[in-house]
Amino acid sequence: MSKRNLPVGTRDEFGPETERKAQLTQLLQERFTQQGFHPIKTPVMEYRAVFDAMAPTPENAYQFLEETGETLVLRPDLTLPIARVMSTTGITPPTKWCYTGDVFRIKKRHSGGYNQITQSGVEIIGYQSLKAEWECLLLAAGICAELQLTDVTLELSDASFVDTVLAQLPATNQAALKQALFNKDLTAYDQLLKRLPKGPLTDFLADWPWLFGPADQVLAKLPADATIQASVADLRKTISFLQANCPDLQLTIDLSSQSPQPYYTGLVFHGYRPEANDYLFSGGRYDRLLSSFQQTRQPAVGFSFDLDALAATLPQKAPEKPTLIYFTDNQWAQAQALAAKTPNASLCLADSLAAATRQAQSLGATLLDLSQEAPQ
Amino acid sequence: MTLKIALTKGRTEKQVLPLLEQAGMTVAPIRNKGRRLIFNDDPQYHTILAKGPDVLTYLNRGAMDIGIVGSDILDEQRNPQYDMLDLKTGQCRFVLASTADFDPGQTRRKIIATKYPNITQDYFATIGEDVEIIKIEGSVELAPLVGLADAIVDIVETGSTLRENNLQVFAELQPVSTHLVVNRLALKQKQSEIQALIQNLQQAIQED
Repeated sequence: MSKRNLPVGTRDEFGPETERKAQLTQLLQERFTQQGFHPIKTPVMEYRAVFDAMAPTPENAYQFLEETGETLVLRPDLTLPIARVMSTTGITPPTKWCYTGDVFRIKKRHSGGYNQITQSGVEIIGYQSLKAEWECLLLAAGICAELQLTDVTLELSDASFVDTVLAQLPATNQAALKQALFNKDLTAYDQLLKRLPKGPLTDFLADWPWLFGPADQVLAKLPADATIQASVADLRKTISFLQANCPDLQLTIDLSSQSPQPYYTGLVFHGYRPEANDYLFSGGRYDRLLSSFQQTRQPAVGFSFDLDALAATLPQKAPEKPTLIYFTDNQWAQAQALAAKTPNASLCLADSLAAATRQAQSLGATLLDLSQEAPQ
Repeated sequence: MTLKIALTKGRTEKQVLPLLEQAGMTVAPIRNKGRRLIFNDDPQYHTILAKGPDVLTYLNRGAMDIGIVGSDILDEQRNPQYDMLDLKTGQCRFVLASTADFDPGQTRRKIIATKYPNITQDYFATIGEDVEIIKIEGSVELAPLVGLADAIVDIVETGSTLRENNLQVFAELQPVSTHLVVNRLALKQKQSEIQALIQNLQQAIQED
């Protein structure tokens, strides 16, 4: 490989989109810390076993060997390292963390995807209350509102719903039915359904793979079964809460999909825009998060923004015309003050006015010449 | 909202057009396409014609909402999107085939030629065997005839190509047919349009 090539799946970032990404990073961290979240930064590389709780196992991770022979990976996830910190440092919950960092997930070669993406998010550890989910949802919705994203759909689901329904059915073929449901393989699902004896849930089951969409419509389709109704109580409360507090959000529910990771235990949520190709943010409750590091469970809720998706979805603003400021050696303070108050301005470091003029011309920039005012 | 459909060109396209027509799509422009590859006259459906593996590339990047593609390609490419419907067209099957003197019980490691290394590996893994796979891009039947491989794993529709080359079937692997695949996020964004298309297609499949 030539030293002039990038490895497949990587890219350099600069230009307007990178500037937006930097501004977004700053905005998000400001909002998180204003709410009392504390910054945490974990290493880019960790022992592979830290990510054992992920599904599928990190075969899509960059791996290499430490000199002792242990396998290291570039982190494919930011939440599990925080679980490791909580489980090994004796920090007493409740705690609230915020982070920004890159995760590395190897995509298919030459498929147009990037293997390094930036996430910015929070973890609330130690609160069993639904208030923890609500703080996350309000934060995410508030940031979208501040960015004037008025067409965001918030999709809610519950990690325990599918198993609650399956527990009401005869034990045969449950695993196959669940797989067909999660894969939305309607052909296999319908065949499996035909083999089930008729029961009170038959009509509901026929429509189950389509059990997503506007919140009120989905909730109206649920069967009267007391266990099933009880399992969506938190979802109903959350919807009422969001309707009252975030009237701009489109609210949808999905009760037919797989959780993003097996450690999720409760509410799961995603945000997306109508034309976007990726979710803007994702999160939920994962009380099993610490289980791969310790015996005791610890309630945890978190979410993160995909900063690359977020930066890509924001409207492109035409950049301000650049300005160059030419100055003499004894005008540094004056030049820096002028640069600070002029949009898209920078100091021209040329040694002569002629060179500065040439540079301004080639950049299409306005040249502000301070040297004329210089004290002789 | 407009549904963006990537259709595998060639045989899949011809076999599936009647079904799409029955489901309410206007397919005349595709039938009389000339050299066109992109059809966006219908405000309801925009269609492109692409090679099978590329259908998945477009779908995975979110450039298209729906892909119509053979399950051979879905299996081989380990498709991560929703494989929602078996359209029951383009039906054929994977087989293990070779010359008459091939011994499936031979005690040395077999050499298998195929266009589908992942599917081949999956099959031999299920029967607990490890084989050497040689990737061939086309006319896989040649490989056992010229001694490159002990046997082949390939798709057969009627079996006539095998017979013409004096090859016979030693094992039946999975069936193949054309499937409808949906981008995960597009399913959420365009739920009612996609659901309507799928229900129309389900109806059309039953009537066939």
